[in-house]
Amino acid sequence: MKIESTDKVKKGLAEMLKGGVIMDVVNAEQAVIAEKSGAVAVMALERIPADIRADGGVARMSSVGVIQEVMDSVSIPVMAKARIGHFVEAQILDSLGIDFIDESEVLTPADEVNHINKQNFKAPFVCGATDLGEATRRIAEGASMIRTKGEAGTGNVVEAVRHMRTITNQLNEVISCDENQLVALSKKYGAPLNVLEQIKELNKLPVVNFAAGGIATPADAALMMQLGCDGVFVGSGIFKSGDPAERAEAIVIATTNFNDPKILGEVSKDLGEPMVGINIDTLSDEEKLAKRGW
Amino acid sequence: MKVGILSFQGSFLDHSKSVELIGLTPIFIKNESQIDDLDALIFPGGESTAMRKINNYNGLFNQLDNLIKSGIPTLSTCAGTILLASEVIGGNPTIPNIDIQITRNAYGRQTESFEGSVSFYSNEDIYCFIRAPKITGLLSDNVEVISKHNSEIVGVQQDNIVALTFHPELNNDGYYLDWLHNFIKEGKNVRSF
Repeated sequence: MKIESTDKVKKGLAEMLKGGVIMDVVNAEQAVIAEKSGAVAVMALERIPADIRADGGVARMSSVGVIQEVMDSVSIPVMAKARIGHFVEAQILDSLGIDFIDESEVLTPADEVNHINKQNFKAPFVCGATDLGEATRRIAEGASMIRTKGEAGTGNVVEAVRHMRTITNQLNEVISCDENQLVALSKKYGAPLNVLEQIKELNKLPVVNFAAGGIATPADAALMMQLGCDGVFVGSGIFKSGDPAERAEAIVIATTNFNDPKILGEVSKDLGEPMVGINIDTLSDEEKLAKRGW
Repeated sequence: MKVGILSFQGSFLDHSKSVELIGLTPIFIKNESQIDDLDALIFPGGESTAMRKINNYNGLFNQLDNLIKSGIPTLSTCAGTILLASEVIGGNPTIPNIDIQITRNAYGRQTESFEGSVSFYSNEDIYCFIRAPKITGLLSDNVEVISKHNSEIVGVQQDNIVALTFHPELNNDGYYLDWLHNFIKEGKNVRSF
């Protein structure tokens, strides 16, 4: 007996990525640097979030050529982004044999009401969330992995921290509640009841939860791990910095050794220039990618 | 009893859950200060390339090699088995202790990952294979086949080491947990179940 793409197999891949770093890359050359630096997976993109932010316009799924080039160049899993609600972009990625699809707010949304029904795909999905309601709605739609939205392309970790703390606080409320309160909590957070029941039974989210959006330094990665994230996505932080290979490696070491300040200090030495950050307060609501998704 | 679980990255928390379920103490090991007095070792699933890279900094594999060779019960799953294999197609040997040839990502990408029926010692159950490697050669007579999926070899034992290409830590079924408990308890005299 052999069944492919079961729920357990999809969530299982996310389990195997835990404690690791997933890096944004725009070509095969960057993918190889990421793999050699110890990335557990790469995210194939046409432009990294900082450039999407700077260039403006409509951001779509990467070209198939770039994705295939990256898939051919490394032995670790390859992820790619589809626009929120753009199930045809997801169908194309699925047909390429991509290892994970990120239904991502970093791209321009294609549907202002609905996300993709993720149950019907062979590839597992990861989705961003700012709170427990969003996280559980994505899980109900079939997401096998959750990540904080943070504020991609800013090099500013404050939003990722806010989202992780919010999810953790709301999770704790569900875990410690009396069973009679579950329906009311479901209403309060816009969280599907069946997912809250799973949380109550497991005493945690039923899927892996990574940090993403604004992580630029080894200390940022360790901060998110100490806040309880299962692993880290780094987007613009690596290839917008002075020495990408060295910074990538330092963030990998920091993510494994997140509880050891001495090691964190050591790997943070002589890293060269980090990416230039953006103060989130200077962004208008339309410029905030985390506001996308519903 | 203390069971050391390599915790650079991967399914170390799932393995720690298995160890807790059989009433033993999981120890998350990342550096050499954490490997004193261990009674057993587990190498989890994950990405073997990342674990190798992290070891360049954390420097643990030499000590783990000595521990395995001292004869303590050692279990590896998926990427862990790649680390322990003596010959790796699509990679390099890391802590060679099992005389097998292993081929990385041998079933293909994640879309080819599957749940399949597996014989494991005297039991039959369904387990996950996630971007799994294949055991493509047995390189000595000391290697005993203990697990199969259809006609494929998916698990072997060589003295104190049991190496699997699938993920029993994602199941924690009764048979596996009983086996794990016995395997660890038997210590240096470990034989098949």
